Amino acid sequence: MSITLPTRRDEAWRWADLDTLSAARTTPRAEIGDAADHFLDLDGPRLVFVDGAFDAARSDPRRVRVQAIAAETAHPLGMHAAGTGWSLDLDASEAETCIQIAHLGSGGESHVPATLTLGRDAVASVVESYAGSGWANRLTRIRLAEGARLMRSVRLVQSAGFVSLREEAEIGQAASLVSIFLGAGGMGSRIDGELVVTGDGGFAEMGGALLTRGEQRQECAVAVRHAALDGSSMQLWRAVAADRSAASLAARVEVARGAQKTDGEQSLRGLLLDRTATVNLKPELEIFADDVKCAHGATVGELDRAAMFYLQSRGLPEGVAKALLTRAFVADAIDRIGEEPVRAAFLADAEAWLAEALA
Amino acid sequence: MMATRNAEALAAANKKYEWGFSSDIEQDFAPKGLSEETVRFISAKKNEPEWMLDWRLKAFRLWQTMEAPDWAKLNVPPIDYQDAYYYAEPKAKPKLGSLDEVDPEILRVYEKLGIPIEEQKVLAGVEGERKVAVDAVFDSVSVATTFRKELEAAGVIFRSISEAIREYPDLVRQWLGKVVPMRDNYFATLNCAVFSDGTFVYIPEGVRCPMELSTYFRINAENTGQFERTLIVADKGAYVSYLEGCTAPMRDENQLHAAVVELVALDDAEIKYSTVQNWYPGDENGKGGIYNFVTKRALCQGRNSKVSWTQVETGSAITWKYPSCVLNGENSVGEFYSVAVTNGRQQADTGTKMIHNGKGSRSTIVSKGISAGRSDNTYRGLVRVAPGAEGVRNFTQCDSLLLGEQCGAHTVPYIEVRNPSAQIEHEATTSKISDDQMFYAMQRGLDAESAVALIVNGFAKEVLQQLPMEFAVEAQKLLGISLEGSVG
Repeated sequence: MSITLPTRRDEAWRWADLDTLSAARTTPRAEIGDAADHFLDLDGPRLVFVDGAFDAARSDPRRVRVQAIAAETAHPLGMHAAGTGWSLDLDASEAETCIQIAHLGSGGESHVPATLTLGRDAVASVVESYAGSGWANRLTRIRLAEGARLMRSVRLVQSAGFVSLREEAEIGQAASLVSIFLGAGGMGSRIDGELVVTGDGGFAEMGGALLTRGEQRQECAVAVRHAALDGSSMQLWRAVAADRSAASLAARVEVARGAQKTDGEQSLRGLLLDRTATVNLKPELEIFADDVKCAHGATVGELDRAAMFYLQSRGLPEGVAKALLTRAFVADAIDRIGEEPVRAAFLADAEAWLAEALA
Repeated sequence: MMATRNAEALAAANKKYEWGFSSDIEQDFAPKGLSEETVRFISAKKNEPEWMLDWRLKAFRLWQTMEAPDWAKLNVPPIDYQDAYYYAEPKAKPKLGSLDEVDPEILRVYEKLGIPIEEQKVLAGVEGERKVAVDAVFDSVSVATTFRKELEAAGVIFRSISEAIREYPDLVRQWLGKVVPMRDNYFATLNCAVFSDGTFVYIPEGVRCPMELSTYFRINAENTGQFERTLIVADKGAYVSYLEGCTAPMRDENQLHAAVVELVALDDAEIKYSTVQNWYPGDENGKGGIYNFVTKRALCQGRNSKVSWTQVETGSAITWKYPSCVLNGENSVGEFYSVAVTNGRQQADTGTKMIHNGKGSRSTIVSKGISAGRSDNTYRGLVRVAPGAEGVRNFTQCDSLLLGEQCGAHTVPYIEVRNPSAQIEHEATTSKISDDQMFYAMQRGLDAESAVALIVNGFAKEVLQQLPMEFAVEAQKLLGISLEGSVG
């Protein structure tokens, strides 16, 4: 497939690792592990995609349908995610929780679209895991009707290659969307998101932790757009960069004209473990209404010396103190996951990463 | 209540530009349009040496291959660079030594510009006043420089840049284009090719400049783009405070202003650069008004050097301006204090860059954006820490104040850190003038406009208090005038 990639001259892609993405497209096929390793012990639908193809034998989709989906987006990567994908449609007041989806890549590129449409007061939760290698390109479109609630937890644990995710959501009146991402693998990544709060009193949250080491580059470029009254949103991102890696967080809150009483919160923090690592932050606000509360905070640095000193004075060796504080730093973002077993699994992934990076 | 106030706001927006006057003085024009001929004309007009002409021509050829930047959050109508004059010189008397000799009409214009009272007192012969040296740029040519003698006694060189090119070619050549390279950006390159005049300041080693230096820019001829070039070099241990203030007459045609300001601070030197900018912002429909596309950058080259930018931006239809500091010196310090006010249909995209290359370098950014009417006000900034820069500290605060429902306030900060010992903090808030604040101020006897002025001045005080005294007064007045009636 011929794909025209954006370039780093484009302002929105200036920190993107497009070289790794290009290289991942042509990686040779390699063995992939067992899909079962990536499922948590939860009762719910399970879907396995191998190199973008649905693996019916190892799946139990239940209400989730696998079908052809068009890629209706102008996003330069998301527009290529057309073909067979998965979709969930829930009618009013229905619930479907703990949907688990494993994306396994053996190399090369794969493109999978998805749609999630929740009726009034419907509830759903989805856990996605990306493992293996190659370039996984995904487009997820979400529509939440009045009062619907969706919790998404996505972990990127590919050992190599690149994962690019594009999320587009419309959040209706008093509906709530929470999407939390953990990048704890060896791949490059780009998490793109555009959440639009279209109904009064809607809530949108997108956040997570990106952990990078080696020559790795991971980034997010997400925006929440408030187009209705009384909306609130939260963007809480943490980046930890070691070795010569780079982690970039770009988050934007947009408040449209007339979207009064919006409360948008942004917190971007970066932690550098080595002097060769890079953290880039871009906490952006675009505000067209006067009666709003939008605060953002951004910090970059190393671990707090006072906290380090305190822990060491209580008898903890330096390495343990460092690990403890780093874990707490990352946990800020992961703690936003509502479901206990999912949160525990994500924290375990983060800890495994930290144990190696801090060793 | 709301409706009345909106009507008030509308009435204020309709108010004519208070300082929109224009005076007729014979001008010597370069042929209209932009070509190598224009560049040669300007250079010949200024009796420039060969190297300067070559430099200009190189820039012009480069500029032709470049494209105007489009990343700013601005809606810039296409500019026809061929439909403007690039050089206009008032037919001044020869050999002007002091302001007394200046064309009375020019003096009258200065008076309307409100050259500080100190200056007028000095002109009138009052002794013992604090001195401010004024290098007045009247449509592209520096027609008078006062206090030259006293400055010379201190060893300070304060000249128009064209004089400096003739008199101190080595000094100018050493630093011109070193802070803002020729190929830096579209507008800077254009300036390199056609800059008309500007200011050159050199403070020798260990000298504290005995007075504050100031320049008044003023765009006067119709369809004349102004391309100022300022170069300030503070040698080891030197100190200088420089004020730049601007007002411009009312015009229908859009006027382009693409200045370049370069500052160099060597070891232990300090430069304080203050700007009050009040160019014509266009009428109530956004027609006319100045395009202000300025490149300002400081090189803190020496150990412990310091550069402080303070700006109060109330004018111009479109502002594209990012006064920056390249902090190369160990323990060097960069500061940026800004108040940007937009009203009517104004658009401002302004901010700063702090590039930390030196160990222990520190920077402070305080930006206050105030939007009213149907305007857009954007803060765009970059804080970058190089891998070798240990112990860098930065603190950034961006506050926005929105007056009314039709305006926009945006914040686009970039933070790029490559050294773990850096401590970077960024905070931003967005607010409006609350009803409680207005109620309190008004029940104490203030009318709505004074109340707004009071609250806005309080919002911007961290920046205003960085300004030298005479500028602070002017700036407070400007804020009040710019926002009259815009709150409901």
